[in-house]
Amino acid sequence: MALIEIKNLSYTYPGASNPSIHDVSLKIEKGEFVLITGPSGCGKTTLCRCFNGLVPHFYQGEIKGEVTVSGINVLEKHTYDMAKHVGLVFQNPENQLFALSIEKDVAFGLENLGASREEMRKKVDWTLKQTGIYDIRERSPHEISGGQQQRVAIASVLAMEPDIIVLDEPTSFLDPLSAEKIFEVIYRLNKEQGITVILVEHRLDLTAKYTDHLIVMDKGAIRLEGDPRDILSNEETRLIGVGIPKATLLYQMLKKEGFNLGDKTPLSSDELADQLLEAYGQR
Amino acid sequence: MSVFDGLKFRKVSSPIHNLDPRIKFVYVICIFVAAIMFKSIIPLAALFVMQLPFVFVAKVQKQWLRSMRGAAFLAAFIFIINIVTRFFSAGYVFTAFDIEEATAMTLRFIVLVESFSVFFLTTSPDHLGLALEQSKVPFEFAFAFTTAVRFVPVLAEEAQTIMDAQKARGLELEKGNLMKRIRNYIPVLIPLIVSAIRRSLELAEAMESRAWGACKKRTNLYALKLHRGDYILLALIIVILVAASYFFVFVSIPTVASFFGL
Repeated sequence: MALIEIKNLSYTYPGASNPSIHDVSLKIEKGEFVLITGPSGCGKTTLCRCFNGLVPHFYQGEIKGEVTVSGINVLEKHTYDMAKHVGLVFQNPENQLFALSIEKDVAFGLENLGASREEMRKKVDWTLKQTGIYDIRERSPHEISGGQQQRVAIASVLAMEPDIIVLDEPTSFLDPLSAEKIFEVIYRLNKEQGITVILVEHRLDLTAKYTDHLIVMDKGAIRLEGDPRDILSNEETRLIGVGIPKATLLYQMLKKEGFNLGDKTPLSSDELADQLLEAYGQR
Repeated sequence: MSVFDGLKFRKVSSPIHNLDPRIKFVYVICIFVAAIMFKSIIPLAALFVMQLPFVFVAKVQKQWLRSMRGAAFLAAFIFIINIVTRFFSAGYVFTAFDIEEATAMTLRFIVLVESFSVFFLTTSPDHLGLALEQSKVPFEFAFAFTTAVRFVPVLAEEAQTIMDAQKARGLELEKGNLMKRIRNYIPVLIPLIVSAIRRSLELAEAMESRAWGACKKRTNLYALKLHRGDYILLALIIVILVAASYFFVFVSIPTVASFFGL
């Protein structure tokens, strides 16, 4: 059975006339790095909230369908029961940190779960090292940069050792360099710790190379799903308004002009550079 | 940003800062009690001087002086009221004793302010929050306290941004009489409140996602433990209380005036 299974899910926020997500079905396997993209207001954030039960428990509203995560029916459990399985990281790092020191913030979830002090100490230190913020653990949140704050937010859900980390546009408040660092941290957690990652992002230029499962959403439904190389070279993707990586665009242009760069659609400038060198590489 | 700089807390380490906040609070209460017991200059002056080492060891002289300066106006007020009422009730005469007692009353106020300011200047909010968490205060309250402290600089910054944005649209904050000026701040307050509410919703979401309320008995990463310094302070508290009681009961404290044979 897949780690996450969503069947015919529809959800309407209280007071809204139209459903935010409509008849969504989805399967995510353990260890995948899933990228969800699509124009603003297409239901990506709502879908993220379904994974740990914020929708419908926190938001109320009308829900139809099935959500199963790690074999648990999310609709029947509390959000705090899901916290051990799904870690949710939000857009604005500032509003996710509420303790006066970073270390205390990272421990917040474990404290809520009633972990013992020794266990907490061990997990917190491990998490701080994994996300590269061990040296600033005693600072307070307003003393560190946005990128560091977002890494603290990641650390604070990671400390609970979830099977899945869901990140809802974690870099929209950050500069490109900090964003790249965040993606590297996430990628490493995925590869080395085997944590399933679901990343919602607009910046495909930076993220497309990490994923092997791309989901394009539009108007509350999943429009395209599968291998990013296929989807990003699909005309429909561009029409939905997805920002195709520059390397992929350039590849398509060159191909149209009759340059033969091989069949593999590149997702990053590195890949494209390699392909160019291979095809025309006399320096 | 200079207006809001004072709102940001910083972690400072000194032997005084590192003391257990609970013991420090007991110390404040102890000074408080001792100050209430006496109404002559000498013991009150002794209490005043006794706290100066704390200020210097913690290296908070500057902030301390500022808080004392803040209290100076009230102190002067207390002194004048005391003098005037004594002047009238004694039948329109001044005695050296009256002046001395008025001074003592003022000094008592200063000692109280001093002890509280030493406590708050040398206790960082996270320590205070921890003390609240570990002294049977429901966690919700302790959490509300630390979160408030955490978000003060954030909201201050936001207020500044909104003020700048509204000024850029032609809002004149420093114009008109007092009522008008207060009304000028409404276009700043409303967006600030709205965004604070939105922030609180996001905060609630983040808390839910981190297992808020998962278990009845919440644990804590830190434990407040008493160290050597705390025991020394505890001993000091006992000494002060015993000495104060002794002097209060058995010793008649001379007035300053009596030294000069007045």
